[in-house]
Amino acid sequence: MNDIVGIVFDLQRGALHDGPGVRTVVFLKGCPLRCAWCHNPESQAFAPETGRSGKTYGWATTVEEVMAVVRRDARYYAESGGGLTVSGGEPTAQYMFCAALLAAAKAENIHTCLDTCGALDWPRLDALRPDVDVFLYDYKATDPARHRALTGIEPDLPFANLARLLEAGASVRLRCPLVPGMNDDAEHLGAIAELGRRWPKLAIELMPYHEAGEAKYGDLGRPRPELSTHVPGPAEIAAWLDSLHGAGAPQAALG
Amino acid sequence: MAHAASPFRQTMKTLHDLNVEAALAAPAPLARERAITAAFRAHEHDSPVTRELAVLSSQFPSSFEPIEDGDLIAGRIRYPLVSFGPEPGGLGYACLAGQIRSVVTERGLDEAARAEAEELIAFWEARTTESKTRAAYPPALAAALPSDAWTSDSGAAFPLYRMAGTVLDYAKLLRLGLGGLDAEVAARVAGAEPAQREFLEGLRAALRLVAASLRHYAAQSRSLAADCGDDAREAELKVIASSCEAVAQRAPATFHEAIQLAWIYALISGTWNYGRVDDWLGPFLARDLDARLLTEETATETICSWWRLMKAYENQFNNRVIIGGRGRADGDASDRFALLAMEATRRVCLNQPQLSLRFYKGQNPALMARALDVIGEGCTFPILYNDDVNIPAVARAFGVQETEAAQYTPYGCGEYVLAHRSVGTPNGVVNLAKCLELALHDGWDPVARRQAGPRTGNVAGFASFEGVWRAYAAQLEHFVAALAEQERIEYDVAGREAPFLFLSALYDDCIARAMPIFSGGVRHLGGTNETYGNTTAADALLAIEHVVFRDRAVTLPRLVAALDANFAGPDYEALRQRLLTVPKYGNDDDAADAMAQRVHEHACGLTRAQAARVGLDSYLVVVINNHANTILGRTTAASADGRRACERLANGNNPTPGADRSGVTAFLNSLVKLDPGIHAGTVQNMKFSGGLFRRHRAKLEALLRAYWAGGGTQAMITVVSRADLESAMREPENWGHLMVRVGGFSIRFVELPRDVQIEIISRTLYE
Repeated sequence: MNDIVGIVFDLQRGALHDGPGVRTVVFLKGCPLRCAWCHNPESQAFAPETGRSGKTYGWATTVEEVMAVVRRDARYYAESGGGLTVSGGEPTAQYMFCAALLAAAKAENIHTCLDTCGALDWPRLDALRPDVDVFLYDYKATDPARHRALTGIEPDLPFANLARLLEAGASVRLRCPLVPGMNDDAEHLGAIAELGRRWPKLAIELMPYHEAGEAKYGDLGRPRPELSTHVPGPAEIAAWLDSLHGAGAPQAALG
Repeated sequence: MAHAASPFRQTMKTLHDLNVEAALAAPAPLARERAITAAFRAHEHDSPVTRELAVLSSQFPSSFEPIEDGDLIAGRIRYPLVSFGPEPGGLGYACLAGQIRSVVTERGLDEAARAEAEELIAFWEARTTESKTRAAYPPALAAALPSDAWTSDSGAAFPLYRMAGTVLDYAKLLRLGLGGLDAEVAARVAGAEPAQREFLEGLRAALRLVAASLRHYAAQSRSLAADCGDDAREAELKVIASSCEAVAQRAPATFHEAIQLAWIYALISGTWNYGRVDDWLGPFLARDLDARLLTEETATETICSWWRLMKAYENQFNNRVIIGGRGRADGDASDRFALLAMEATRRVCLNQPQLSLRFYKGQNPALMARALDVIGEGCTFPILYNDDVNIPAVARAFGVQETEAAQYTPYGCGEYVLAHRSVGTPNGVVNLAKCLELALHDGWDPVARRQAGPRTGNVAGFASFEGVWRAYAAQLEHFVAALAEQERIEYDVAGREAPFLFLSALYDDCIARAMPIFSGGVRHLGGTNETYGNTTAADALLAIEHVVFRDRAVTLPRLVAALDANFAGPDYEALRQRLLTVPKYGNDDDAADAMAQRVHEHACGLTRAQAARVGLDSYLVVVINNHANTILGRTTAASADGRRACERLANGNNPTPGADRSGVTAFLNSLVKLDPGIHAGTVQNMKFSGGLFRRHRAKLEALLRAYWAGGGTQAMITVVSRADLESAMREPENWGHLMVRVGGFSIRFVELPRDVQIEIISRTLYE
């Protein structure tokens, strides 16, 4: 299992923002979605790419090679309650590699998070559950037409899988990118609040739109998608939080 | 803490600048310098004890400056430009010729006064302890160390002149008082040999000078109180007066009296690191608080005033105050002082004193919690020291028992001394990157354009990486051997010249042995050697190994040609890019870190081995850093790690700025790979964002805990944002408050020269 090869485009150690504690985040390359606001364009294609600058994005590696790096920070995981986060791209799109990596970490008692959009068949997602301590689960838009327009896929599968995970008692941290004018509508915020009310243990993280990553589009020779939005200010972010808290989702917080 | 002749004259005020200002402002300029010179001249051929006392009597109390508004403790000092001391004016008897000339010019003194000043300078030329030290070098040593101008000349090694880093036994001073200490000395006089008797009587006379200085301030504060007209201030001045009067004769009984005595003694002694202050003041504080003689607020304000007096001494490379740690007599009382000390540091928001917290598993957790609060506010203090790692390491490095090692005391920019048991003045500077540069040129210095080191072979003849290593090692060994001999000679000359009475009175064994500190009195006579460019040398060596010998991408002569051309030339930039891709220390990379370990262990090992040869109890590397990484970088040619000529070297044993790109855990893992048990102190600078401290405090604490558990020795933490640093470069007038840790010292960012500012911005910010 540990010689399974995957394509990884980044490996961040000492990460503090992707799950509990101090973590190592492994970014698997390739994504079936095309989110309008994506600021990791190098995460979209599955094969390694070379930018105009000569910089390469992505390399082939084995589960064991990744684990050799992950293991080096065991002390920090133990002190902080951290561990491994498998992210992407959409990590489950490299399903075998993703599953083997999570299993390898669990086999060494390393805490695991899976950062996923949930767009995969339930049995495959369900099969990962024993090796995932916390799901970092994207929730991008509520209205189906809008979801399609903003991400390129239908919302049915992600929504259904979220409900199944929660019903199965999985620990889930909902991650909600909020892009002014695109998905910060009342219906979407209301749906987030509804989830918060129904599932009091569900963590909710708001991830306000930011503009990092523009340079990478240029390097990859791709036009950056035109967005009619802006970087939200503190007042706007506070208003989102207020509306969620007021609607009965006190767990909503900034990610 | 190499600080002489600071090139930061334009921006950073040094003690010497302030001393010049004082001389300029004096009603009779250079009068004190003339008086001190006359005292020396009258006793030049008398015994060292008589001569030192004559000079000290001329120097004190006249060097003490008036109490200023707001001072809650007496004690401000400005050294004359001719002086005696361990280091404030220079080594021993010192004459600051350049500063004297600038006083003559700036005050527009007449021809007669100018001639008199020149005569004074000429008198001292061969009589300062520094010049006598240089005159004592055998020819081979003088050839190995031709220059003393480390801030301007190109060179691999330079001597420094000072008796730095002594930490006196303040606990004993406060326990016995001047009178009790005098009685101890007096008891030793009986039965002593005549020479010993003279020394002991000299100690007693020196103690009388301390008492006279206290009475000087008592009289001054009485008269200020009488004329002040403000009830509150009058009361404060009367407290100062009564404390000064009291401790001039008896042991201190209150917190205020204790600080007052210790501070005047510290100033008059010319030592500027104060050791384990919570250990010696905690019991006084606790007693006064419990007896309701003092409130915590008053105590904190008193400490704040003391901190401001330390800042007025302008001594950013020193002024160390240590709190916390194992081996304190009354831990609870000391902890109470430590908490107030951190609060005082938070309130005054100054770059001095360099408050340093020692800690261990099981220590009162309130201390570390408070420390992180204060650091998180951007104070850069306290600096953190991990006793669980450092005590066994110091025991091994110094060759002492752990009970003695528990009294390790950081001073200056981060060197360790065993408080009042050892001296280990850092009197050598060696640039490892320059040693590699010499090795690649058969001992020739391409910047100075002279044969500076031994002939270690033409690079065309190096068939393997080990050939390069051997040449580098031989260069370093040549210079370290020279610096070790120099250190021993400097101690010998200092000991011949003077008994350093104020130091000897409060250093273990000097009274019992009836011997001056540098003439057999001190228990542990050590030395230290400041190494710079360690990481630059290691990264460059690995780049040579990979690119030249493993990948065979370029020949060694061609690489050296590229370095000589500073990478300007055909294909040289492509070569530089290739060198930059070789793994660098600071990323938890096995190859890069192994080379850093090899460089570290070699430099530390060969330095230690000098001790027995030159007759010292220890001779140890200190991987400290002030701004020497930037200064020495200016005279270091391009290096094989991809660094261009004149750019900064890496700081201390930290990664090259910006080269640590694999996350904070990888950075910390690299740091702990360097053996702490073979040197006498390192500095680990870390730069975190304010957001991390505020929003992810628990994670930050966990990071540090894991670092300590993994063998982390210490941390100097700067909390800033990149945007703030960039704004401060653009609009310095708005960013006067922004404090950063350069290396072994803190400073307001806007006071730094541009190349040092850029070096700090280029360090990796963990956020």
